[in-house]
Amino acid sequence: MHQVTRRNVLVAIGALALAAACGSEDTGKKGGGAAAGKDGAMANYGVGTQFKATKPLTFTMLHNIHPAYPVKNDWLFWSELEKRTGVKLALTLIPFADYDQKKAVIITAGDAPMIVPKMYPGQETPFVASGALLPVSDYVDMLPNFKDKVAKWNIQGDLDTLRQEDGRYYLLPGVHEDVWLDYSLAIRTDVLEEIGMPAPTTWDELYTVLKAMKEKHPDNYPFSDRWNIPTPGGNLLNILAQSYGTQGGWTFVNEHGAYWDGTAGKFVYGPAMDQYKQMLQYLNKLVKEGLLDPESFTQKDEDATAKFTAGKSYVIGSNAQSLVNEYRPGLAKAVPDAKVTKIPVPLGPAGNVKVGTRLENGIVINAKAKDSPNFVAMMQFIDWLWYSDAGEVFAKWGVEGVTYAKDASGDFKLNPGVDFLGLNPSAPKHLQKDFGFSNGVFAYGGTTQLLNSTFSDEEKQFQNVMNGRQTLPVRPPFPLSEAEREQASLWETPLADHVQQNTLKFILGKRDFSEWDAFVKELEGKNLTSYMDLVNKAYQRFKQQHG
Amino acid sequence: MVIPKINAADRGTRGQRIFRRFNVVFLTGVVILTLYPFVNIIARSFSQNGYIISGQVNLLPRGFNLTTYRIVLTDPLFWTNYGNTVLYTVVSTLVAMILTTCYAYVLAKKHLRGRTALILIAVFTMFFNGGLIPNYVLISSLGLKNTIWAVALPNAISVFNLLVMKTFFESLPPDLEEAAAIDGMNTYRILWRIVLPLSKAVMATMVLFYAVSFWNSWFTAFLYLNKLELFPVTVYLRNIIAGVSGGEMAGANGRDIGELLQVAANIQSVTVLLTILPIVAIYPFVQRYFVSGVMLGAVKG
Repeated sequence: MHQVTRRNVLVAIGALALAAACGSEDTGKKGGGAAAGKDGAMANYGVGTQFKATKPLTFTMLHNIHPAYPVKNDWLFWSELEKRTGVKLALTLIPFADYDQKKAVIITAGDAPMIVPKMYPGQETPFVASGALLPVSDYVDMLPNFKDKVAKWNIQGDLDTLRQEDGRYYLLPGVHEDVWLDYSLAIRTDVLEEIGMPAPTTWDELYTVLKAMKEKHPDNYPFSDRWNIPTPGGNLLNILAQSYGTQGGWTFVNEHGAYWDGTAGKFVYGPAMDQYKQMLQYLNKLVKEGLLDPESFTQKDEDATAKFTAGKSYVIGSNAQSLVNEYRPGLAKAVPDAKVTKIPVPLGPAGNVKVGTRLENGIVINAKAKDSPNFVAMMQFIDWLWYSDAGEVFAKWGVEGVTYAKDASGDFKLNPGVDFLGLNPSAPKHLQKDFGFSNGVFAYGGTTQLLNSTFSDEEKQFQNVMNGRQTLPVRPPFPLSEAEREQASLWETPLADHVQQNTLKFILGKRDFSEWDAFVKELEGKNLTSYMDLVNKAYQRFKQQHG
Repeated sequence: MVIPKINAADRGTRGQRIFRRFNVVFLTGVVILTLYPFVNIIARSFSQNGYIISGQVNLLPRGFNLTTYRIVLTDPLFWTNYGNTVLYTVVSTLVAMILTTCYAYVLAKKHLRGRTALILIAVFTMFFNGGLIPNYVLISSLGLKNTIWAVALPNAISVFNLLVMKTFFESLPPDLEEAAAIDGMNTYRILWRIVLPLSKAVMATMVLFYAVSFWNSWFTAFLYLNKLELFPVTVYLRNIIAGVSGGEMAGANGRDIGELLQVAANIQSVTVLLTILPIVAIYPFVQRYFVSGVMLGAVKG
């Protein structure tokens, strides 16, 4: 039997990328100076210009087969795109389920189309060494809209996190005007009314609320949480750590504990920080007093959801979708007069701040494109479709008068014959399925106004509160060399295992906080110091060479 | 109903009777254990999502519901892809049988020069292979992408099946073939007229092995085919499962939240049923060969 796992593929790719790196004369090194093929390109393309190729062009592109809206050739998107830009896209289709896997294979095999969308930050790293990807940072002058947005929204810092060891970045990410946060807690507002309290805005207020709930319903744990994959308390530790000024949960998994301490100007290990300890003490208090279900960190999402929808718990982790798709319909059956809302992330010692990136998944470009006679036209096309205001509105909402209308205040309104997100449930056609707009391949990022244009009123309120918070700067880049990356991952895994085990022990009261210093010592026994040295050295090196 | 009369002697000793009773109870238990997952999956595929999520579905469907079946079965693409699966399975199995039989028959001849080398070549591929990317490059430079041959050729010879077949051919008495040769048959006629008719058991087993593996396979198809209308049904269903569990579908189908939850709850059981149905239907007909065939090589006289 052939069972090929993602890990197999990554290993194979890593090996091949290495091999290719030795063999090929690095195509990326030349930079954007050479006057590449300008066939079909516009001479005076700029911000606000509608891109139109001077002759009909076809570009090859990868595209997924989304199960909810599989690609159709008769989508209005394709015909309108051709009408506006003179460009046709020739697609290679990949099932959504295994998109990443096949994307990796065909890039490594040198069989990739010119445009490869849906690449998440970090995914491009294995292909960089082989020279398969275009170092887009050398060509941003061809992308006026992209450049404009980066400058206007002050995104350069976020972009820097994408830079590789050579100081270039290879991924052209989707960019948001503001940090977009979705995950928080959902709370039963009818229970809040019962105990006569307003929705909590800080973690301390949450504690008081949970205590009052417990008094009213002593048999239940008022808070039973979910999202324990791939790490226990993925969401809860994540949002809690951010309000305590440290790193936990999902972010810990993604960033391997390398937390940027802005005041000290260096990286420190998140879980060894005093703030991390304080956060665990807070959770330990909730567990000890019976306010937080001890199963919160081990149970499956379905079990946590079942408790919440059966009215046995009143607070649970939530995003906009789970609120509407899971909690409300579930509660409607069991507890018909229940009311539930998603509260803005409670605040903690770190103050009125939020943490996050403004980058989205984006596109990479095949390095061979540079030699194409239509290279400039292709870059202009990409810039228009993915980064111009007109292109973003087109990709998301479609054609004015056909799929949507704009009212006097500039708000978007779907046309009555078109459904999207349940806005016109009885409409015969669907914006994604039948017209091909709001397709995840083309429509992401953009202005806050555009992002909010599909949100419900309650989600807009949530976003308003969150947007009012100060965004902390993202951590600076510290690209590791191939050998360093290997060494780092050998240290990261045992450290992370130890952190996860002991995080639970401290929270559940199986280990006393008097042993905290011993815990930090144990981490040092697992090469914590060498690991942080490696990270900080890489940071310093990159700062000197490319800062 | 006639109850066979057992005389006192047949009933055996007390110990034997206890053993027999124990056997009945124990083996019934084993049957229930093996059948339960199947029955449970059938029950889930017809149940309502609420009952499935809260784990209340056991042997019988609860809150009878056909939504998922309706959604999957009314999609024309599902039928196109199902047809592809049948076509790919038939063609691939045919190709695989021809190639494996010829290879195994040759290997079974002890007097063949270079036989060891030929066996080693086959066995080598059991332990080493070129890897995913070189294979991909090979298939695409041969121009096989987006054709049925990308699915049929790469897995045409399974070394395990090859060795089983070789062992079977070796166990046939060489005298038979000698006699046929003296009567003037050439090698091909001997294979066709003498050996194959005597090898129905192993042939049926191999057909079953190959057919099931081609039926279930999705990876080669996923890798080498780039068009919706070329995919086998396994790729189609895999994509649906990923869609509902990945959560991205939820945003897309706001209007059918109820429907969506239903699909998410039992798409896996529906999928399992729809894909194994044909294999389960064929199995009883092949099984009697299968029983004798799979014992091959287990005991050698």
